[in-house]
Amino acid sequence: MITPLLEGMWQFFVPTHLLAVGALGLLIGQGRRAVLLAPFALGFAAGALVIATAVRETPAATALLVIAALAGILVVLAWTSALLGTALAFAAGGAIALNSPPQALTIPAAIAMQLGAAVAASATLALIAFIPPRAARPWQQIGVRVVGSWITASAILVLALRLAR
Amino acid sequence: MRRAALVLVAGAFGAILSGAPALAHTGESGGGFVSGMAHPIFGPDHVVAMVAVGLWGAFLGSPAIWLLPIVFPLVMAFGGVLGIIGVPMIAVETGIATSAIVLGLMVALAARPPLWAAAALVGAFAIFHGYAHGRELPDGANAVAFSAGFVIATGLLHVCGIAFGVLSRWPAGRCAVRAAGGVIALVGVAYLSGLA
Repeated sequence: MITPLLEGMWQFFVPTHLLAVGALGLLIGQGRRAVLLAPFALGFAAGALVIATAVRETPAATALLVIAALAGILVVLAWTSALLGTALAFAAGGAIALNSPPQALTIPAAIAMQLGAAVAASATLALIAFIPPRAARPWQQIGVRVVGSWITASAILVLALRLAR
Repeated sequence: MRRAALVLVAGAFGAILSGAPALAHTGESGGGFVSGMAHPIFGPDHVVAMVAVGLWGAFLGSPAIWLLPIVFPLVMAFGGVLGIIGVPMIAVETGIATSAIVLGLMVALAARPPLWAAAALVGAFAIFHGYAHGRELPDGANAVAFSAGFVIATGLLHVCGIAFGVLSRWPAGRCAVRAAGGVIALVGVAYLSGLA
C-alpha cells in the first residue's frame, strides 16, 4: 500500500495544483483562518466520491485555474472573506481530487493513491497557509500580495490559452 | 521564527518552481518553467523596461514601490489574453521599446506624477509586454509552467530594479539611479530606431 500512497502524493505535484493551492494557502494564511482546511478536505472527499463513480472527463484543470486566479486576486486585495474562502477551499479540494484520478488496478490501491494525493494537497496547503501570519514586516506582507499577483497573472494566461485553443 | 518563515517561503517557491509531472497526469512539465523564465530575460527590451518599473517604484517610494510591481503582472496578463485570443494590435514592438524610453526617462528626470498616473502609465505599457508574451505562449502541456516562469521572471526583474532603486536614498545613489534610467531610455531608443 505504500507505493500507491507515494504515487498518489507525487501525483499531486503538478503546476496547476500548485498554483491553486499556493493562492488558496496564501488566502487562508492572510485571513488567519486555518479552519478553512476543513472545507478543503471535505471538497477533496466529495471529489474522490465523484471519481469513484467512474467519471472520466471533467473540467477540473480549468476550474483549478479559475480558483487560482480568484484566490490570487483576493490575496492581492487582502480581502479575506470567510464565505468566499470557504467556497474556494471546497471547490479547490474537489477539483484537485477530480484532477487526480488514481491509475490503479485494484480498489485498495486506488483508495491509497487518492489518500496520498489528499495528504500531499492538505500538507502543502497547510504549509503555505503557515507563511502569511508569520510575515510580520510590511515588506513581507507586500511579498505575499506580489506572489498573489503572480499566481493570478499566470492562471489568467493559461486559462485564456485553454479557452481560446 | 522569521528565519523559519523565510525558509518556508523559499520552500513553497521551490515546490511551485519544481512542480514535476505525475505519471498519471496530463503531461504538465516543470521543463516549461525554465523556458518561461528565460523568455523575458533573453529580450533586452523587456528586461530594461521591467527593471525601469522597479527603479521607478523605488524612486517614488511607498506605496508605488509595491503597487507598480503588482499592477504590472495583472495588466500584463490582460495583454497576454489579447495576444492569445488574437485581438489585432498594432506596433507591439514599438510599444515595448517606447515603454523603455518613457519609463527610463521618468527615472532619469526624477518624475513624480500622482500614484494613479504612474500606475496607469505602467499598466498601459504592460499591455504591450503581455501581448508579446501571449502571442508566444506555447500551446499544450507546458503552458502553466511556462507562464508561471515568465511571470516570476518578470517579477524578479522588478525586484532587481527595486533593489537598485533603493540606492536613491543616498545622494550618490540617487545620481546612479537616475543615470540608470537614462541608460534604459537610450536602450529603448536603440530598439525603436532599429539600431539594436
